[in-house]
Amino acid sequence: MNKAIRHRLLVLAFTVSTVTVVHADEHSAEIASSYNDERPEFVAMGFGDVSYLSKDGSDTDGFAIGQVVAHLSASMGQSFSVFGEFTLTARESGHTTSVERLIVKYDFSDRYKLSAGRYHTPIGYWNSGFHHGAWLQTTVSRPEMVKFGSKIVPIHFVGALMEGLIPSGKLGLDYRIGFGNGRHSNIAAAGDAGDINSDKAWMVQVNAKPTRIYGLNLGLGFYNDEVPLLNGSDVKENTVSAYAAWTKEDPELIFEYLHSEHELLNDSSVSGDVDAWYAQFAYRLPGKHKQWKPYARIERTRVNNTDPLLGAEMLDYDGSIVGMRWDFNSYAALKAEFRNEEFDNAGRENNFRLQVSFALAKL
Amino acid sequence: MRKLLHMIAAGAILLTSTALLADDTVGDSPIAIVVHKDLPIENLSLEELRSIFLADRQFWENRTRITLLVRAPQSDERTFVLERIYQMSEARFRQYWIAKMFRAEVPRGPKIVLSTGMTLDLVVAIPGSISFTRADTVTDDVKVIRVDGLLPSDEGYPLK
Repeated sequence: MNKAIRHRLLVLAFTVSTVTVVHADEHSAEIASSYNDERPEFVAMGFGDVSYLSKDGSDTDGFAIGQVVAHLSASMGQSFSVFGEFTLTARESGHTTSVERLIVKYDFSDRYKLSAGRYHTPIGYWNSGFHHGAWLQTTVSRPEMVKFGSKIVPIHFVGALMEGLIPSGKLGLDYRIGFGNGRHSNIAAAGDAGDINSDKAWMVQVNAKPTRIYGLNLGLGFYNDEVPLLNGSDVKENTVSAYAAWTKEDPELIFEYLHSEHELLNDSSVSGDVDAWYAQFAYRLPGKHKQWKPYARIERTRVNNTDPLLGAEMLDYDGSIVGMRWDFNSYAALKAEFRNEEFDNAGRENNFRLQVSFALAKL
Repeated sequence: MRKLLHMIAAGAILLTSTALLADDTVGDSPIAIVVHKDLPIENLSLEELRSIFLADRQFWENRTRITLLVRAPQSDERTFVLERIYQMSEARFRQYWIAKMFRAEVPRGPKIVLSTGMTLDLVVAIPGSISFTRADTVTDDVKVIRVDGLLPSDEGYPLK
């Protein structure tokens, strides 16, 4: 190598190393200055999926674009933050947009965090655990009882939420207390633009993450609402939910149970119950096969025909799924899933789903 | 003159490389948990430390917001902490924080730091900050806290 080239290479290497140090200093200064700065510090993330669906006896097998999800959060100072989740959903006649969640939050301390906005109702585990990004959940889709558009669980609620830790030592308890608009006249929707009656929905949930059993989550919740029917009468809704989840992946176990009672307010003899549950098992394979995660889930939903809110909706369901998730990239997964399902005694059907899902996030 | 320039450039590269290489080696030194000097905390149990690193706990007792500083991927300190405190793989760690932000439980993930020097500088600069570094790199400008009542030099220290 001649002298001139060697000289240039050395100068280049020196420049690169100097630039790296300067860049680190700038990064350091940026982090330090952001501490007490109330200018918004944004984090943007995106999620999406593409699926292929094949059904027994169907001639409409084919591809589908899942929800395209944008998540934006901004912290302004040490206590105030805003979260937004927006979706673009493919329909037969184009796309619809939706504000799935919009939360304005003030953290007073670990024990008291107050927020207002549109939430996924804190009932059970899945509904407030996974939200709209298919990549975050092990399986292709949500359990039937908490699927988007479900009438069993009020998926969204608009109101205020107080949450925080409960001083409880090694039990690791936390709470959520919510108050807001209940179901809309379309009972699968929330009262986004205002409540349709004067009775507000309220909910309480207590969760435990015992520190001695790292990975275990337990929870118990109660939800109450009065839902006006289109015929003018009101139905009282009380829901109890419970879950146990082992969140480590070797294995991953989730069990969730929900019991709802619905009763006509002006005639208590008209009432009915809903029982719904699912159990999911998954296992991240060890060693060089760690990108693979086989899984299975069984589900069941039963609704009394006499139920004044849901009895006529034909919501009984039995389902079982087996599948395999392949995390071929840190931010993307391919899932193959076989399902056997029965919707309200309409006969069993088999279907196969293949989905590639991804997260666009910088971490 | 040219020879002098060569020597300066070579020296700078050598120093930078040595510093970077030294940064990426945990070696026999235990991992020390360091916090801002003004924080009124001396000891944390391993479970309490885990709940802070998982952002389940986000405030100190004096209501200062906890700022978690985590080394960038590929550093041995990060690998050690992921294995011993988080008990997660790198992929699972990323998924955990993305899910945590997506659930609106935290507005942002941990602050990523690029070197031991940067870790210590930021722990000094940010009230409420907590991080980890090799015990033999700790300076007097930060406070080393006990884990389960033990300092890094003690027998039975859990982050050895």
